[in-house]
Amino acid sequence: MPERSIIQSSGFANTGERDRRSGFTLRLRQPNYRGLCLSLVEGIDICVDGETYPAEGNFIMLRGKSFTHADMANATQIRWAMGECVEVIVPKAAGLKIGVHEVGCIMRLRHPYFPPQFQPAFVRESRHITIIQP
Amino acid sequence: MSGFQYGVSLYSYTDDIGTVMGLDEALEHVADTGATGIEILSESHIPAYPEPPAAWIDHWFARIERLGLVPTNMACWVDTNITQTHNRTEEEGAAQLAQDLRLAHRLGFRYIRPKFGVIDEELTPHPIWRGAVERVLDLADELNITIIPEIHAPTPIRHPVTEAYVDFIQKTGTRNFGLLIDTGIFQDRPLPYWPGETPEIRKAALSFLDGIKVPVEHLAEVIEYVPFIQAKFHHIDDHLHDHNIPWETIVPMLKKLNYTGYLSSEYEGPRDPWVAIEQVRRQHCLIRKLERDMEASHA
Repeated sequence: MPERSIIQSSGFANTGERDRRSGFTLRLRQPNYRGLCLSLVEGIDICVDGETYPAEGNFIMLRGKSFTHADMANATQIRWAMGECVEVIVPKAAGLKIGVHEVGCIMRLRHPYFPPQFQPAFVRESRHITIIQP
Repeated sequence: MSGFQYGVSLYSYTDDIGTVMGLDEALEHVADTGATGIEILSESHIPAYPEPPAAWIDHWFARIERLGLVPTNMACWVDTNITQTHNRTEEEGAAQLAQDLRLAHRLGFRYIRPKFGVIDEELTPHPIWRGAVERVLDLADELNITIIPEIHAPTPIRHPVTEAYVDFIQKTGTRNFGLLIDTGIFQDRPLPYWPGETPEIRKAALSFLDGIKVPVEHLAEVIEYVPFIQAKFHHIDDHLHDHNIPWETIVPMLKKLNYTGYLSSEYEGPRDPWVAIEQVRRQHCLIRKLERDMEASHA
């Protein structure tokens, strides 16, 4: 079972070949009390050590399939189940240094049954997690 | 005197299910309260919703039969603004409802609670609700399921939203549509601030969390349309004192109105691991005690 937090320790890793890192990947648990169509997820910004990686440049990997931010906006038939994890793939030349990083996420979730002024709703979390491999 | 029927919504165990317990363990906890009714959330608790594997359905029935549980209500959603540029039409809303009615029927449920998208802060449902529901009334009748949107804070009983639902029942004469009362409307003391909430935010936008204090007497005006109650609560202390919901007035009123439907626990409080298990048990102990006291005083 995943950790209680949204941001998962396992799954935090650099991507690409060891000497040519292309970015990093971060595993997130779906934080809502119900499953959501991806079209209701308006974006997931990632922040590492104070630097923000806006949703528009990130990719979401769900059950082995990759979605761009634009793909998600129309994905009305793809469900991110309650408690299920996605990998957020963040492009970043050379990836992240090994060690402990302060990692945050800001999710913008649209709940149609919320009053309009609460759409989207923001879900924020931050914690320290570790990159093991350079 | 017939009594209440007791149930639990798996919503109570939000965040525990999937991190510290699976669905099977959750059902065990429900059964251990002595409850018979099991309420679930479609998109939360049914794997691969809306098409769970046949093996899972077999397991579902085997599990609830062993535990003596009966499926009550399946909560579901009609997400009107499904994308940022498209609102679902009446036909699309009806298709969503038809899908959930069929799924609920396959799993043995008698009620579905659709949560429609809303258009204002008083939770007025998107106007497609009426046409969407009308289109599936025959199907609901065929499947013997009642569609029960919830009356939920900040919407009180005396309100155009509730009146529109009652008007719909009266005009169509349907027996497949009713009201789900969420007992949060009777909350008469404030909730603690949620994480991140400030007094300013509470005052500006979330004042209903201080309690909208619907008088329990108003139940009499709609009780004939209420087949199911979600027993919403937030905190019950070691002395079985509920800090927010006035059960000592709700229970006598429901007895006076001869309500014999389900009280389906819906714990909505701090989400620390395992807290919900004990909180649900306290609520069952508290309400059963109040019910017994009422029955004893009328014996």
